Amino acid sequence: MDVTPSLRRSAFAALSALALLPACARHEAAGPAGSPGVVLTYWPAPNPQEILLADTLVALWNRLHPEIRVDMQPIPVSISTEEVLLAAIAGKTTPDVCSNIWPGALHDYTQAGGLVRLDDFPDFDSLMSRRTPRELLERFRVGDGHFYEVPWKTNPVMMFCNMRLLREAGVEGVPATYGEYLAAGKKVVSHKYAGAAQAVWMGDRDVRPIWWQRLFDFYPFYIAASGGRTLFTGGIPSFGDSAAAEVFAFFRECYANKYFPRTFFQGGDPFLLEKKATHFSGPWEVASIRKFAPQMEFAVGHVPVPDDHRGPVYTYGDYKNISIFSTTKHPKEAWEFVKFLVTAEHDLLLLSICDQIPVRGDLLENPLFAQYFRANPAMAEFARQAVYTRGMDDAPDLKEIFDGIAQEYEACAVYGRVTPVRAISDALGRTTLIVEWNR
Amino acid sequence: MTRLGDIVRGVRRSDRGAYWFILPYVIFFCAFVAYPLIFSLILVFNRWNIVTPMEWIGLKNFDRLIGDVLFYRSLLNTLTFLLIHIPLQVAVALALALLLNTGVRGRGLFRAIYFLPVVVSGVAVTILWQQIYSFDEGILNNILHAAGLPSVPWLVDPRVAMPSIAIMATWKNVGIYIVLFLVGLQNIPRELYEAASLDGARPFKQFLYVTLPMLNPTIVVIVVLSTIGGFSLFIEPYVLTGGGPMQSTLSGMLYIYNQAFSFGHMGYAATLGFVYALVILGVVVLQRRVIESEIPS
Repeated sequence: MDVTPSLRRSAFAALSALALLPACARHEAAGPAGSPGVVLTYWPAPNPQEILLADTLVALWNRLHPEIRVDMQPIPVSISTEEVLLAAIAGKTTPDVCSNIWPGALHDYTQAGGLVRLDDFPDFDSLMSRRTPRELLERFRVGDGHFYEVPWKTNPVMMFCNMRLLREAGVEGVPATYGEYLAAGKKVVSHKYAGAAQAVWMGDRDVRPIWWQRLFDFYPFYIAASGGRTLFTGGIPSFGDSAAAEVFAFFRECYANKYFPRTFFQGGDPFLLEKKATHFSGPWEVASIRKFAPQMEFAVGHVPVPDDHRGPVYTYGDYKNISIFSTTKHPKEAWEFVKFLVTAEHDLLLLSICDQIPVRGDLLENPLFAQYFRANPAMAEFARQAVYTRGMDDAPDLKEIFDGIAQEYEACAVYGRVTPVRAISDALGRTTLIVEWNR
Repeated sequence: MTRLGDIVRGVRRSDRGAYWFILPYVIFFCAFVAYPLIFSLILVFNRWNIVTPMEWIGLKNFDRLIGDVLFYRSLLNTLTFLLIHIPLQVAVALALALLLNTGVRGRGLFRAIYFLPVVVSGVAVTILWQQIYSFDEGILNNILHAAGLPSVPWLVDPRVAMPSIAIMATWKNVGIYIVLFLVGLQNIPRELYEAASLDGARPFKQFLYVTLPMLNPTIVVIVVLSTIGGFSLFIEPYVLTGGGPMQSTLSGMLYIYNQAFSFGHMGYAATLGFVYALVILGVVVLQRRVIESEIPS
């Protein structure tokens, strides 16, 4: 068949246009009267509760705003959300809005120019002042003086206690200090369970040197023991103090006295199986207990602190926030959707569907939430604790820094090969090297 | 351009078809071997975390490597793994190949059973062994309990973890080496055994003075392949131990992976990769010299 070059060019152009049509359609949705609208992509966390919440909120939004359609797609499952988002930034395939932004990774995202500056929106301040206490909000301001995330939810790390196991061992109440915890540990492991094939432990932590595991032991305990300090002060690593050494010494005693096993469990969650008396976790654990161990009699308390601790007990907040990615073609519409996600009514949905704590200053005063907390007293403990939480420093390479801490934790606390003071000094030295290296 | 044109014109018309045939491989080679290699060489002199622009830092990556205790530790761990894994691999593969070579009934079935782990995904095998090695509910510890023995911390004791991983890696790969040994055994002329037998050599002596020397080329291949495979140790510690306990299973590959994909230090990881490749080259060359001088063929 003889095809002229001009015909070939026309055919190629027509085919190309056809191929590009779906891509164009992605960002153009028909409005109510067939007028062109906007389509936004929204990525929530990929767990079933948050997918259900996102489904509910997106359906509601699409009903109320037919001219701005939101397509929900859970974050692709991977080892971590942060890796997926970094890959998406590199590939320029980020969504318009994501509600699973870990503040510890914000530094990388902002350095890559991946996020929209939210305080450029004129109503950012008014929205934030209505919802989040100023002192807390300021902790999310990054080095360039701007905000790139809306603090959405926090999961304060607290201590769950199996009250039956504690009572049977002769322990009354929730241990609040290191001394009380260790004394309770002694009673629990020397009780009738000792020597049984399947012993009961006072607690356990995954002993593998996995960096994020330290967000559930060393980090909340350090924040608590230091009265609310994080790893950095004024951009300089500053955790080489006695509080950090005390935390390592506490865990070292737990392992040395066999209150904690030197292993990681694989035959199911030992707390839900009632094989350990305490567990350090976030509010999501309440729903797990309700579902998998409804018979368990449990209480929630702050993480143990040194015996001479005075004042409020802070902890790690495990924040997950909302950001708009700079690949968006519709920042104003995306911002409208973000505001929709954080209304008081939708924060109530976040509580009731996901059992996670919205970053609001009025959680315990606003009558809208009163019924939920009456029905879920354990969650009220988390809401009270939420005010006393800390997040992550605005620093690069936090994962590597926590990896260094995890190595020292393992050497000192789990295996007792290094003294707490030396381990903390080594961890601080390594952190300083990492910071220097990346400067 | 003129030169390229001359080269193209210089190719004989009859050879042009052959170049079309090799073109797919050339494209594959350029895309997946040459380009990544050149790109990683560029990375060695840069700092890059995928999302931010590359930053030229000269030899700073090498500076860091010189003082990086963890890298040396990971090298030492990998060598420890090789010291356990290679003799175990050769001994087990040779023993099973000798058994299969005796004409035992169901030889084909046994060969398939031994080969099965080779074709199963590494992650699947590792998860299976996680269940076997698990401290609290593991199959091995349940057997020990039943026999009245205490549990063994297979993966959580710094002294036991790497041997446990070496045993698992041997189980996973032994099938392929059995096949190689079987080929080697079947290529040994029967006359040699007859002559040895006439000289009064009993089976053990025949093994020592006929079989083993005749298998020397196969042993060299297996040792070299096991060494290179051993240096790629990654999935097992990544899934089972995360490099612990006490960094005792932090392999070179796992450390490079962590630097690249967990911490985003692409430039430093590329530097580690190049140095690691040189170490592998050195070990393999040394190994070949030692083996060839120890067992003359």
